[in-house]
Amino acid sequence: MMLSIENLEVKYGNIQALHGISFHVNKGEIVTLIGANGAGKTTSLHSISRLPPPEAPRVIAGDIRFNGESILKTKPDQVVKDLHLALVPEGRHIFGNLTVMENLQLATYARAKGTDFEPEYQRIFDLFPRLHERRKQRSESLSGGEQQMLAVGRALLTGCNFLMLDEPSMGLAPVLKYELFRKLKQLNDEGMTILLVEQNANLALHLAHRGYVLDTGKIVAEGTGEELLGNPEVKKAYLGG
Amino acid sequence: MLESLIQNIINALQWGSFYALIALGYTLVYGVLTLINFAHGDVFMVGAYIAFFVATFCLTVLGLPGWVALILVIPLTMILTSLVGVTLERIAYRPLRKKGAHRLYVVITALMCGLILEHANLAILGASRKAFPVLIEVQVYNIGGVTFTNLKIAVIVTAFLSFLFLHWVVTKTRIGMAMRAISYDKFAVPLMGIPLDQIIVVTFILGSGFAGLAGLLFAMSYPVLEPYMGALIGWKAFIAAVVGGIGDIRGAFIGGFLLGAVEIMVVAFFPSTFRDLISFSVLLAILTWKPTGLFGIAQTTKI
Repeated sequence: MMLSIENLEVKYGNIQALHGISFHVNKGEIVTLIGANGAGKTTSLHSISRLPPPEAPRVIAGDIRFNGESILKTKPDQVVKDLHLALVPEGRHIFGNLTVMENLQLATYARAKGTDFEPEYQRIFDLFPRLHERRKQRSESLSGGEQQMLAVGRALLTGCNFLMLDEPSMGLAPVLKYELFRKLKQLNDEGMTILLVEQNANLALHLAHRGYVLDTGKIVAEGTGEELLGNPEVKKAYLGG
Repeated sequence: MLESLIQNIINALQWGSFYALIALGYTLVYGVLTLINFAHGDVFMVGAYIAFFVATFCLTVLGLPGWVALILVIPLTMILTSLVGVTLERIAYRPLRKKGAHRLYVVITALMCGLILEHANLAILGASRKAFPVLIEVQVYNIGGVTFTNLKIAVIVTAFLSFLFLHWVVTKTRIGMAMRAISYDKFAVPLMGIPLDQIIVVTFILGSGFAGLAGLLFAMSYPVLEPYMGALIGWKAFIAAVVGGIGDIRGAFIGGFLLGAVEIMVVAFFPSTFRDLISFSVLLAILTWKPTGLFGIAQTTKI
């Protein structure tokens, strides 16, 4: 088990957002967390990323283990640098005042100095050719879809082998949505472990090996993508009947 | 006529250098944290006092010649003053940041920190002024009726070199890139594997270090130190940074020299008591015309 969440309970201020959830991700898997707004999906990802206060929820019980070791005391930059676990946050959060290229360069900040990152930049540009065309532009001038590609490319350049994505399809045109999911499949085929949070449950469950359904801070169903797609409860609540 | 113009330009450049050096610190911290660090003027004052103690120690206890002392005083003053800035960040600003306090409370905290520095100085060292020791022999040069000193030239050259250095740091280095990234989106910076607090500390080291340098140069030029010496000059440097476009290194630099120039020109034509009234009025007019400052760009909304 690469990542395991054990009876995790977290609070934002006085409000409890997760009521003891457990799930795990094996190496090489695509796992998805689905659920309605406020179910605790983003909270789960922020907890795993160990974001600092005030953004981060406070863990009050349970554990987050990465390769068997608790990471509750790990700092957010170490999660990226040492555990190679990256998050593509909801809303993209690209650095709009930097160029596309600078955004990518910044992602290599914590990695060994003197490394030649050219092949890796090239790999990102192969994956998302639009970014190459626009590499000298201020990134806030990109379209929503391009910004999402930059956010993914940037996360990959941190040298991660475990990628978490929070609502990557939000605001994307259908054609871009499918393209992005194809790229995620491609990354997974090349060995990337993926934890995907999605509102578009149908799309996510078709991509993922396994999934968990969250509802108000609890896990209410789990199974393989196919099982969940066939589950009548899930169908009714999240797949539009 | 021409001599007096050149004379005024040299004087303006020297005055502007002090404002520019202090304004750079305001703008760096603002650029990264959108925090107006109102304690910065008092960090400048502390820098002058640190320079005083280090210089006195080198001259009297170690018995070093003035120029050797100066070589030691410059880095020591910058390092010790930057520690003051880092301490303020650590004990005053960081806890508020971790609690997600609104910017207003952080600014008020900064004002309080400034007052604490002033009055701690008053309490510990007393109300008597301190005379800054002479480190280098001031040479007066006179070329065609224009007089200037080696010290004035040194102040101006130092301000330019400091600007070039900081501009290089912000635009060309990875740490500068991280600083710019924080200014846009603090949330995503740790997600890039970048230790956020470390970058913020570097920002305070740079800003306070150069305030310390300004304190040293100011004390060498006007060798009387008192606890409130940083208050007015700090305000003026802040205004200079705003006029230049706060958050932009070039803006702070240009704004500092602009304020210096306006002040010197006012004094050249009006009684010196009019100086601050007219210069602040000119700056107000500039801000009315361009509220974001000369180099400032209007904050664009994020998509």
